Amino acid sequence: MTRSNTFIACLTAICTLCLPVEAQGQIFFDTIRTENLQEVPVTAERTAGARSVSAQKIADTRLMSATGSLQVSDVIKYFSGATVKDYGGVGGLKTVSVRGLGASHTAVAYDGIIITDNQTGQIDLGRFSASQAGSVRLVSGPDNDMLQTAAMAAQAASITVSSVRPELGGKKQDTKAELKYGSFNTLSALANTAFRAGENNTIQAQAEWLTTEGAYPYIQKNAEHSTAKTRDNSDVHRLRAEAAWFSTLNSSTDLTVRAYWYQSRQGLPANILYNDEAADERLWNREAFVQSSLKSTPGDRLTLKVNAKYGMTRTRYLNPRVNNRDGFTDNRYIEQEGYLSGVALYRFTDYLTASAALDGRLSKLDGNGTNQAHPTRATMNASAAVKYASQSLILTGRLNYVGTTESTKIRKAADNYSHLSPVIGANWLVWPAAGLHLRASYVNTYRLPTFNDLYFEQIGRRDLRPERAAVTSAGIVFENELQALSISFYADAYNSSVRDRILAVPGKNTAVWMMKNIGHVVTHGFETGLDVVKTEGRIRPAAKLSYTYQRAMDKTDSQGTTWNHQLPYTPRHSASAVAWIETPYVNASCNLIYSGRYFSNGYNGPEYSMPSYYELGCSLWKAINLKSCSLTVKGECINLTDHRYELVANYPMPGRQFRLTVTVDL
Amino acid sequence: MKRAAYIFIISLLCLVSCDPEPVLIGESQAIADAGHTGVYVLSEGLFNLNNSTLSWIDFSTGLPDSWSAPTGNSYDCFEKVNGRRLGDTANDILLYGSRLYIAVNVSSTIEILDAATGHSLKQIQMSRNGNPSEPRYMTANGHYVYVCSFDGTVTRIDTLTMKADATVTVGRNPDGICCTAGKLYVSNSGGLDFDNPDSTVSVIDLATFSEIKRISVRQNPGSIYADGNRVYVVSRGIYDYDKNDYDSRLHCIDTENDQVIETYDIPILKMDLHDGQAWFYGYGSGGTIQILDLASGRIIDSDFITDGTIIERPYGIKVEPTSHKVYVCDAADYVTPGSLCCFAPDGHLLYRIRNIGINPNTIVFCDVPVTLNEYQGEVQNKSDIDSVCQYMPAPGQFVGEMPKYEEGDDSLSMAGKCLELLQKGEMITLGGFGGYVTVRFKQTVHNLSGADFRIDGNAFEGSSEPGVVWVSADVNGNGKPDDPWYELYGSEQAAGRSTKGYTVTYTKPSASNMDTPWTGSDGREGSILYNAYHGHYYYPMWYDTATKAFTGTLLPENMYQEGTKWVMSSFEYGYVDNLSNSPENSSFDIDLAHDSNGLPVHLDSIRFVRIQCAVIGCNRLTGEESTEVSTIYNLHPDADQ
Repeated sequence: MTRSNTFIACLTAICTLCLPVEAQGQIFFDTIRTENLQEVPVTAERTAGARSVSAQKIADTRLMSATGSLQVSDVIKYFSGATVKDYGGVGGLKTVSVRGLGASHTAVAYDGIIITDNQTGQIDLGRFSASQAGSVRLVSGPDNDMLQTAAMAAQAASITVSSVRPELGGKKQDTKAELKYGSFNTLSALANTAFRAGENNTIQAQAEWLTTEGAYPYIQKNAEHSTAKTRDNSDVHRLRAEAAWFSTLNSSTDLTVRAYWYQSRQGLPANILYNDEAADERLWNREAFVQSSLKSTPGDRLTLKVNAKYGMTRTRYLNPRVNNRDGFTDNRYIEQEGYLSGVALYRFTDYLTASAALDGRLSKLDGNGTNQAHPTRATMNASAAVKYASQSLILTGRLNYVGTTESTKIRKAADNYSHLSPVIGANWLVWPAAGLHLRASYVNTYRLPTFNDLYFEQIGRRDLRPERAAVTSAGIVFENELQALSISFYADAYNSSVRDRILAVPGKNTAVWMMKNIGHVVTHGFETGLDVVKTEGRIRPAAKLSYTYQRAMDKTDSQGTTWNHQLPYTPRHSASAVAWIETPYVNASCNLIYSGRYFSNGYNGPEYSMPSYYELGCSLWKAINLKSCSLTVKGECINLTDHRYELVANYPMPGRQFRLTVTVDL
Repeated sequence: MKRAAYIFIISLLCLVSCDPEPVLIGESQAIADAGHTGVYVLSEGLFNLNNSTLSWIDFSTGLPDSWSAPTGNSYDCFEKVNGRRLGDTANDILLYGSRLYIAVNVSSTIEILDAATGHSLKQIQMSRNGNPSEPRYMTANGHYVYVCSFDGTVTRIDTLTMKADATVTVGRNPDGICCTAGKLYVSNSGGLDFDNPDSTVSVIDLATFSEIKRISVRQNPGSIYADGNRVYVVSRGIYDYDKNDYDSRLHCIDTENDQVIETYDIPILKMDLHDGQAWFYGYGSGGTIQILDLASGRIIDSDFITDGTIIERPYGIKVEPTSHKVYVCDAADYVTPGSLCCFAPDGHLLYRIRNIGINPNTIVFCDVPVTLNEYQGEVQNKSDIDSVCQYMPAPGQFVGEMPKYEEGDDSLSMAGKCLELLQKGEMITLGGFGGYVTVRFKQTVHNLSGADFRIDGNAFEGSSEPGVVWVSADVNGNGKPDDPWYELYGSEQAAGRSTKGYTVTYTKPSASNMDTPWTGSDGREGSILYNAYHGHYYYPMWYDTATKAFTGTLLPENMYQEGTKWVMSSFEYGYVDNLSNSPENSSFDIDLAHDSNGLPVHLDSIRFVRIQCAVIGCNRLTGEESTEVSTIYNLHPDADQ
């Protein structure tokens, strides 16, 4: 996006803006199913959320296994309505946008609590390993959960990664070890142990290490001179260790405390440019946090929840070859975050519930650059909700408030901001005998400008307003059982609009780009899915199909050249299919994702057209019960047909890969 | 569900895709300009998308040359001709001699193209110690093109060998280069250190190719322009966070003492100078084009465009020196393909050509007819010859360089090296007067109507080093050039202005850094003058005698001095390396063959051609006149079938 006149600082800025600076803070807490008033419990077979007021997709460990997912972002590609932008390989940035809203409008939470990255606004879903996730849940609209934190409730869509909870049952201790080895020297090892410490306490500890060379072959397309090359500088080395203490303080109060450590060092796989062989940018991350969560139900009618967290993330970006004075760029950032949240839920009758939530968050970004603004942002989220839920009808209403205050060490801080946004939802069991529901929702939401939007060198502008978004959605959902066949189907249509989009555009001085509230996007979309699972019998097949249609139109300027053009990286048509079969002898699965043609730029000229692509995979696995332990062996092939494609322009995706996994459960 | 279906159907109706076609708006008869055949327009594309393009707009059609690329209709003639893409962020294009030079910044290459065909003759990787240099802007003088690169260097490219032969270190991140008064001026921006830019202009002496001075200017100097004994440089200053803008100045440097003599508070972004005036667009002034009087430093026209035409984002400007038509590249919103606007001298829009490329930044006028053929796979042999029978150069500064002489080489191995170069379409030198090369065509060249074969050199206006062409048929069929030779008469023989059978005898000097003396058959004496650029014997090292005599046709003197410049004028027709390469300028008709008595001869066909340097001029600055030969074509390759 640099022009010859835009000076070069802009170039550096953009490079840094595009940096995959990883998720900042994580809080482990499970709020998904704490309020189970007359709700259908979620099981692996029933994922469409028949009683949910908005579309939701859930991946359990079985689906993650059947789709050959290594990272959480892999399984999200099978969710309708979600668009994953993937820079390829284990280390390439992976972000998710839902319903044409832009990745920053999708809240990402670990164990129910939102993760924020105030610097870039982008959460890399590639950093979550599929092994650490017990389930991944995408909700595209208001959630039925009344114990949601205020910050989560304010988002138009949310992805919640839930950790694997210890389920000891009668056992005193449970230990699991897993080893994976795959193409391009990808090795990962995981150890997990959980044990009881007294009657009311459980301790869980988990560590996972992943290393990959990532040197996969790809084709650099160049008209008649395309060449076969190997990806370099895409090695990744990660270590994650966490320990959790689950305690039942008394019959009505539970406490969880979790300590978390994550470190990574990796190359940044480069944009493949002609003749430019340089790929030596490096990225380091260190993240630590401690958090605790207390949930109490002091009476029949009242439930209280309190979360607290302190976290720190250090990021270092090094480009050893820059034609500046030093001959390199070495950026170091420290983002710190303190967080406190409280939710109170009151049950007036069996049908009527109300809740109030209040979140406070203090975030601070420091860096080594001489021109760093060192911003601090205090955010307050408040939310009040009511819900009526009978056997056949659910109505929810919520009002969210956000207020921010910012300060900086040098130069002016951004304006303070406050916003009120309403959310409503309804679900009606219209044909009880068939299990057919109608659902509809409306969300009004926003996304705050990131620290980069506001403060980055020439590009940042302090007078930015948040982006505003609204989504109206309606659909049908059906769940039923027919002779040990569990069938669910959903079809949702929506209309979303984002105003005041924050984009980099040429400023007053046309040689200098700057951030502006300029864009307007309207999306008409449709998403549908069918799940069929045989729940009983020796041989249990299952299939899951989904299809997404998205028409995301640029409505910024009716005289402009991009009027009605499709948003970049948003295919109009995309689909996925997974099928697996469980038998007493062996289990098998195959999976397919497909994306239609799309564009790499907001201007839909032929020079930006990206071809359609697909990826096919399959796996075989078997569990063997031995005397003292159980052993699972799994073989997978990812991208079976070795289809070579780029999802993000100039960032090739890996071709065919194999992986072997051995899991031992003691 | 009804609603969903409704939305679905409505959305399907919106599935209208748009394929932008180039559109010419305006009067097509207004396109012709000062005898140019057309313009090449370089578009840099979007940063890190590998999508720089080169378009050719032929003044006879007024539309970009388009073709059907595998990815859709394309106006990128670089890909069309070369079967590959230009790369990422092509910043500058220069037409010098018969060649186009393109600096591709992020891909860090210089592409050298034949202007008449768009064919890439050479891609130079620009790097230092394995790090990409990131070439930015170029200028040319004499035999050299000079490139300034972001890694703080200026590289000299020899236009004959097409190789980088020297590098000089300047300040940080040069962002402009110009040449005047025997010196190069390079603006050291330091722009990659956003908060700590450079603030100097480097002065490089052309003769020694070394930095002789750094002139202090305001911070972050960028565009730089030469105008006789003045150099104008735009300095952007430090970015002002409160104003969200730069506060830029224009400096004027006197080239006599290399000092800033004037600073104007005019926020210029890019300009083009002619006749003491600068047509420019500025920072913060939107699409306004203004005219500055350089002598007074006053803006004499604050809004050049008179008819309300809107230029969204001017991104390049060029004034045709004689017609004074003003060409402006409009980058639109930097994302969609931009357009080229042509204005009459009075500021009204003559025409606009849309969709010529993303971020068009530079245009060059072209005077030779351009034919752009679609890529047909790698051409193995560019020349239609299969043997170099004799390579007998006279002494010259490039002798031993093109082709390269190595210890132990003899006449035979040098001829082999010539064949290798000619087959690749690369250049060989014949040295001074009398030096020659004899080549054999792969097939017999038939004498059909019109031109029968073509020989390319490296001539351009003011740089003609003509050589006479001799032809011979393989009468005895032995494949050797031992048959009668006939001279192809050019304009000078036909007019009786040439000297037949002139002999020059060269003597090898006693040291490599000395002039090479000669005596003519009429008693004249002279020397092939030594210069600092080429520090080797100019006398061919593989000759075993200390003197060597060459006999051939001598053409009238064509070298003279014009101010400080040396000019080598061209003859009307009939010589190699006389006019810039084109089918018209470089082709020969066997019907022009004459025997030793000066009588026309009819030949049905020929097999051999000899090219012999036919001029004897020499000066200390640019060296001797020496014919150069690159590609040799049989124009009737299928006539045998």
